[in-house]
Amino acid sequence: MTSTRVSSPHSHAPLDTRGLMTLVLVATLPGLAALTWNFGWGSLINIALASAVALATEAAIVALRKRPVLFYLRDNSALVTAVLLGLALPPLAPWWLVVIGTFFAIAIAKHLYGGMGFNPFNPAMVGYVVLLISFPVQMTSWLTPRGLLAEGVDLPGLWQSLQIVFPLPGDPAAITSALDGSTGATPLDTFKQHTGLLVEQIYAQEPLFSHGELAGFGWEWVNLGFLAGGVWLLYKRVFTWHAPVAMLTALVLMSALFYDGGSSTSGGSPLLHLFSGATMLGAFFIVTDPVTSAASNLGRLIYGAGIGLLIYVIRVWGNYPDAVAFAVLLMNLAAPLIDNYTLPRTYGHRKRGKATAKPAEKQP
Amino acid sequence: MSSTNSGLGRSIGFNSLLLGVFALVTSLLLASTYLNTRDRIAEAERLSAQSGLLELYPATSHDNDLLDDVLPIPDSYLKTLGLRQPADIHIVRKAGEVIGFILPAVAPDGYSGDIDLTIGINADGTLAGVRVTRHRETPGLGDKIELRKHPWILSFDGLGLGNPPRDQWTVTKHGGIFDQFTGATITPRAVVHKVRDALLFYSEYGDQLLTAASGDGAADDNLARDEGEQP
Amino acid sequence: MSSLSYREIAYNGLWRNNPALVQILGLCPLLAVSSNVANALGLGLATMMVLTGSNLAVSLIRRQVSEAVRIPVFVMIIATLTTCTELLMKAYTYELYQILGIFISLIVTNCVILGRAEAFASKNTALSSAFDGLMMGMGFALVLVVIGGIREALGNGTLFADMDLLFGPLASNWTLHLYGEGEGLLLAILPPGAFIVVGFLIALKNAIDSSLEQRKARTEVGEKERVSRRVRTTGVIN
Repeated sequence: MTSTRVSSPHSHAPLDTRGLMTLVLVATLPGLAALTWNFGWGSLINIALASAVALATEAAIVALRKRPVLFYLRDNSALVTAVLLGLALPPLAPWWLVVIGTFFAIAIAKHLYGGMGFNPFNPAMVGYVVLLISFPVQMTSWLTPRGLLAEGVDLPGLWQSLQIVFPLPGDPAAITSALDGSTGATPLDTFKQHTGLLVEQIYAQEPLFSHGELAGFGWEWVNLGFLAGGVWLLYKRVFTWHAPVAMLTALVLMSALFYDGGSSTSGGSPLLHLFSGATMLGAFFIVTDPVTSAASNLGRLIYGAGIGLLIYVIRVWGNYPDAVAFAVLLMNLAAPLIDNYTLPRTYGHRKRGKATAKPAEKQP
Repeated sequence: MSSTNSGLGRSIGFNSLLLGVFALVTSLLLASTYLNTRDRIAEAERLSAQSGLLELYPATSHDNDLLDDVLPIPDSYLKTLGLRQPADIHIVRKAGEVIGFILPAVAPDGYSGDIDLTIGINADGTLAGVRVTRHRETPGLGDKIELRKHPWILSFDGLGLGNPPRDQWTVTKHGGIFDQFTGATITPRAVVHKVRDALLFYSEYGDQLLTAASGDGAADDNLARDEGEQP
Repeated sequence: MSSLSYREIAYNGLWRNNPALVQILGLCPLLAVSSNVANALGLGLATMMVLTGSNLAVSLIRRQVSEAVRIPVFVMIIATLTTCTELLMKAYTYELYQILGIFISLIVTNCVILGRAEAFASKNTALSSAFDGLMMGMGFALVLVVIGGIREALGNGTLFADMDLLFGPLASNWTLHLYGEGEGLLLAILPPGAFIVVGFLIALKNAIDSSLEQRKARTEVGEKERVSRRVRTTGVIN
């Protein structure tokens, strides 16, 4: 992939990959805090487990490819993949789910395509989609946010969470069945399940919505957390605003266009789409991946808008409740084509060069 | 000049003849294969169409030819059953008596579109069984309505409009008696509701259906001819 | 045209020039119906039948047909054989025919078939052409069955399910249950799984080939050294 970052020639301290990745990791903290507050220890366990698997897989494959192991591990890119996947997976998912997803992301989506910088698809999203279509039951059971649990029910503590994630063969079923009372659908899923109702009725009937301020109790805070982290990254100039803003704008436009005032066939309000599911995580941590997105600013606008459009289409008319991962993968596929048409004129050349065009100088 | 011209002409003539001969030979081959397999294919198509019906009423339970013994669904009820074009009800008879009906229905509100159903209703209004014939539900979640993936669809057997009471004809999540699947409520709910609609249809139209069926049933005493070949 | 030995023809079709793994031809049906062994074997056998028959027929008439009408005649033969196969499958394995559906008729567009007719059968004797068709078809069918087996085992937890559709009621208890049904990696039986499995098979074949080549190169080098040493002792230098 091309790495034409359109940056100012006067930037003071260019960040290396390691520095960039560290900033990204730090920026996930507000979202992670919101996830942990609302859904318990699950996300932290996911991230710890995914990180361990990612680093081990990365080391093993880099060693297999006869490259310097420590050099590649130090760039933190595997860690970022692991953290993003861990954030996206449902809390308290069984350990093997995390292991399979992470292994797929690192070994197949990243290294089989040539490793860091050569992967056409975002590895974390590949891992996520593989799990989603392979194990839809485990991947769509989320916990009920802390504030909505019934009286006397609480989210499992750290020790109990570990027992749920790593069940021992002889473990009493009581531990996992303790979860039964606290699992529930996500706001997007809940919304999709009520096909015959007016939006107003759904909001009045479902505690997930009636207790929420913007778009579903708990979930709005998770999204606000990722939004805050994303804005900080933007301020730090880790990426440009084009792709995330284009994505969010397209999503808002699509949902406003089809909202029709909340009839029973409505696809949900712009607020619902902005602040539920993986919207903000996607906008600021996935869509901005420099390797798999378009290279120029114009290209990123198109790339981001395409993702926003597809998210709406797949969420509302598709087979699965959330769609960020599918939309990102589809546009990853389109990114080289977008680059082909949007690469800016190289300084000193007259015509807009196409990325794949043969050099014109060769012709006499 | 003239020699090449005639050469060309001869070549065209020869090639046309050649093509014609091959067309003839291949069509002969095709025709003979067709003639030799025609009866078997008709038989296989019939068996295949029948096997869907036989799942609801096994060969031993009846003695008429389910495929041909049909009555049309009145247009006014097509909408109740979710059908967009005219369809037939298959009549099930044993020893000259009507013991049940098999009718098609379409549940339009699945997670991703239509779910086609075949519903068997006994003459007394209880369900002989339900099968899903076509759907596009999510693999691993909603597709458990298929019998080969999950036995859920068998939970309808023997139920009727009063059993359970009408307000419990939905999934447990909404206060009914039918299990939903983990992670999938919409699909089973769509199926349950459409089966209920079919039972409602039968409670309204069943008597007329029974009269109509026994009316022309007398003429239809030629027992199923391929009865003995059922697996 | 020097004729190949049967050994070479077999090696070509099954391995060196395998239609699915090397020529990457006919992938559309390959990917679409390989979700279990029974479907894969059904389509593999049908393709093999058509390929053998068309190669034989094309070779038999190769001296009678002029250049100008060669392709139309080949196409007519292939289309006829495909339609006959379709009719036969409809008559004897109707349920399998329903599952494979359009992909039986699509055998006619499988590039392997016209490709072999043109590249091999139109230049070789009837017997070796038929053998070539059989081997190419078998190479295709083998890959199909391997993909079907991998996808079925990973995705469904079974092997040889539904074989009765192909072999009659006798085969209804051939199914091997590897682990709990319905708990597999669903990805494997969905379309992306087909692409991933084919990719891995191609990679595996290339890996085997290159390791064989390396070993061969090593032994050749060893031989050369021996030869050159002997050359030196006799004192003849080229």
